Amino acid sequence: MASENYSFGNTLLKIDNVSVDYDGRPVLSGVTAEVKDIIVPGRIQGQVVGILGPSGCGKTTLFRVIAGLHAPTSGRVSVDGFDRPVRAGEVGVVAQSYPLFEHRTVLGNLMLGATRKEKDSRAAREKVMAYLKEFELEDKYNLYPAQLSGGQRQRCAIIQQILCSEHFLLMDEPFSGLDLIMLERTCELISKVSNMDDLNTIIVVTHDVTAACSVADHLWLMGHEPGPDGVTPPGSRIVKQYNLIDRDLCWKPGIITTAPFNNFVREVKEEFRRL
Amino acid sequence: MNHALAVFSPNAVLNRSAVRALIAVQILIVILLWFFSPFVLLPKPGEVLSAFSELWEQGLGAELITSFYLNIQAIALSTIVTLLLAYATVMPFFRPIVALLSKLRFLSLVGLTFFFTLMAKSGHELKLSLLVFSVSVFFVTGMADVINGIPKEMFDLARTLRMGEWRVVWEVIVLGQIDKVFDVLRQNAAMGWMMLTMVEGIVRSEGGVGTVLLDQNHHFRLAAVFAIQLTILLLGLFQDYAIGLSKNMLCPYAALTLERK
Repeated sequence: MASENYSFGNTLLKIDNVSVDYDGRPVLSGVTAEVKDIIVPGRIQGQVVGILGPSGCGKTTLFRVIAGLHAPTSGRVSVDGFDRPVRAGEVGVVAQSYPLFEHRTVLGNLMLGATRKEKDSRAAREKVMAYLKEFELEDKYNLYPAQLSGGQRQRCAIIQQILCSEHFLLMDEPFSGLDLIMLERTCELISKVSNMDDLNTIIVVTHDVTAACSVADHLWLMGHEPGPDGVTPPGSRIVKQYNLIDRDLCWKPGIITTAPFNNFVREVKEEFRRL
Repeated sequence: MNHALAVFSPNAVLNRSAVRALIAVQILIVILLWFFSPFVLLPKPGEVLSAFSELWEQGLGAELITSFYLNIQAIALSTIVTLLLAYATVMPFFRPIVALLSKLRFLSLVGLTFFFTLMAKSGHELKLSLLVFSVSVFFVTGMADVINGIPKEMFDLARTLRMGEWRVVWEVIVLGQIDKVFDVLRQNAAMGWMMLTMVEGIVRSEGGVGTVLLDQNHHFRLAAVFAIQLTILLLGLFQDYAIGLSKNMLCPYAALTLERK
């Protein structure tokens, strides 16, 4: 049982029966899920969803569909309650390599994101500088991306996308290749960004089960699962969803060292192996 | 001792002063080899120098200006034509056209002279069109490769920042690859000098350093040939340096990730 008093509000992101074929080969088959606004009285609480799945199960394809970068063969993704498919730019995307425009400075990169929403360039610059201060990058505004460290680059890429999309952020393998300290910092960063606004929604696509469990309030497990007839369908789908709030496994500092958390990670890993 | 070993170590990176010293030593070795070469057909530095002053008195300076002007004109024109064509490949209609133009680099200039003569109104125009054509077919190949090599994630990045497709082209292809334009331009501008002497040999009406070179070659005046070649080399190096300097000034980010700067 959850010790936190919470309720669900409006649907923020809806994946409705999405299928994707590449040259007639199904990659995703009937993926259906939704992210709802989590309301916790007395505090700002965003949403963090972890999408887990073995390599080659179509996580990146689903990532591109949610981002509006790839049109599904059938079904649709919609955000913010709009009755139309998501468009590129409505969901921020932070790719694994944290791409930035190398020919622009940090400020130039962030202004590109900010001016999409804020037409007054002075106001956009003020917003950018406020984010840079919040993310401890205010003295780096004049540097080129090549002059940033990996962590600084990651933060810069996140700010750029948040400035443009406002509430939605998709992160592709943000824990890949990080040492323990950087991994903890990335988890803190994700929590920080999600809790900046009630509507902030972060979807983390990863195959790092422990890191995903430590940062998410909901987990979606993707893969191939045999149907009732014993036949495994060719495309992947979301085969299991976990609510970590109900299990009392999120929003608690130091949760990852507790036995219930580790038992849960073991349970997810068992499920993961089955896929 | 360590420095001496470093110059033969794989992937060793030398500091600026060590690089300068290395270049100075290598130039010195070349000069010494030249001075003391037992190869009798190789003109000695003194002979080359006197051949140069003789050529200068005969008007080599004016010929150089003619050639330099022609080369600059050809580079400017081929840069404009090539960039327009390369950027046009964002539209599928232009891709087969550019692919075809790229294949034309296998054609011989001599074989094209007749065709271009029919179209040109003067000797200068004929030389210019031959040069622009011959440089552009290589330039457009290089630029098309640069554009084809842009990773998909850069286009995705621009799209996730709510850019329309023309803005994506401007940000990712035009602004994002401007440093690579300088690199391709540098190679093709050098090729321009190589083609220039050939073109001036085909169309001699306007003179130029290529014409002088062919004349001296014809009469087997090796010292003069050497003098002209060295002059072309120095002019080419100056041009190359100017393009490199422009790149460093306009695209200071380009060298930040390089090991050897």
